[in-house]
Amino acid sequence: MITRAQILTLILNRLKMLGEELHKPALVQATEQTRLFGDKADLDSMGLVTLIADLEYDLQQHVGRSVSLVDEKAMSRLTSPFRRVDYLADYLVELLNVPKS
Amino acid sequence: MPNAIITGTSRGLGRALAEKLLNEGWNVWGFSRTSSKIKHERFSEHLIDITDESSVQNAVSLISQNSPGIDLLINNAGAASMNAFLLTPAKTAEALMKLNYLGTFHCLQAVGKLMVRQRRGLIINITTVAVPLALAGEAAYVASKAAVDSLTKVTAEEFKSHGITVIGLGFGPMDTDLIKAVNKEKLNQINQRIDRPHGTTLNQATDFIFEHLDKKSLTTGDLYYLGKIS
Repeated sequence: MITRAQILTLILNRLKMLGEELHKPALVQATEQTRLFGDKADLDSMGLVTLIADLEYDLQQHVGRSVSLVDEKAMSRLTSPFRRVDYLADYLVELLNVPKS
Repeated sequence: MPNAIITGTSRGLGRALAEKLLNEGWNVWGFSRTSSKIKHERFSEHLIDITDESSVQNAVSLISQNSPGIDLLINNAGAASMNAFLLTPAKTAEALMKLNYLGTFHCLQAVGKLMVRQRRGLIINITTVAVPLALAGEAAYVASKAAVDSLTKVTAEEFKSHGITVIGLGFGPMDTDLIKAVNKEKLNQINQRIDRPHGTTLNQATDFIFEHLDKKSLTTGDLYYLGKIS
């Protein structure tokens, strides 16, 4: 069973790698409050696609089944889960039915 | 050894392509609803319906766990139906759109994500001369393949910065089950229009595809046809 803390670590690790690849220090030092997409964000749409593809792979390795981050539920939310790191972590907790501790 | 996923490998062009790639040393994963009966140590078959999104995702996920990466995706699976537009049942149009367009969509999305992670890959969507020729009597088929052509162009733009090339390769009538019910006179007319009076054999089609496996000579988003389109 994956925990929210582990999910957060996966997100931050992937952002660090992306930041190094894209030469964006803000992504390397990302925190829960880092904006992912939209105004004042450091990822463009291509960067977000890369992050999602990488995260789906990581989550699959952890939970042992394929995970799709992009579904109707994600797209129809009032606040996009792809806007900020903590929103994404919360969305993944819900998506993967992680028990609240 | 390079790795390829091909859809529609149970017969026709898909099967011929799988066999040619295997002969050239590739590892091949085939997606089809029925078995191709290809026996080869480097061939793995997934008996799935590509119109089912989760089946495609699960198959690609399994493949990604058992291979170092995917170099090539050939979206070949497809169906055709010849009928005057006013006589085409809506169910036929729906079925063609589902297999030709949505099946390609699911495979492109699942394998596209994998290739984005790899930062490389070549995707070939099989299309038809029937789209640029706007062939009468093939409205539902042409519309579904035109949708695939649009998908080719848009995904090429979106995948470009990830090192992925997407192209379409189009053919006239081939000697496969797809056209066995089509009137010979009509086939001759189409072949004349694309300047291939003797038609297209499976070997010629697979050779044409092989000529396009070198990414350096390709422009992503382009549609290339075997035959003259004017």
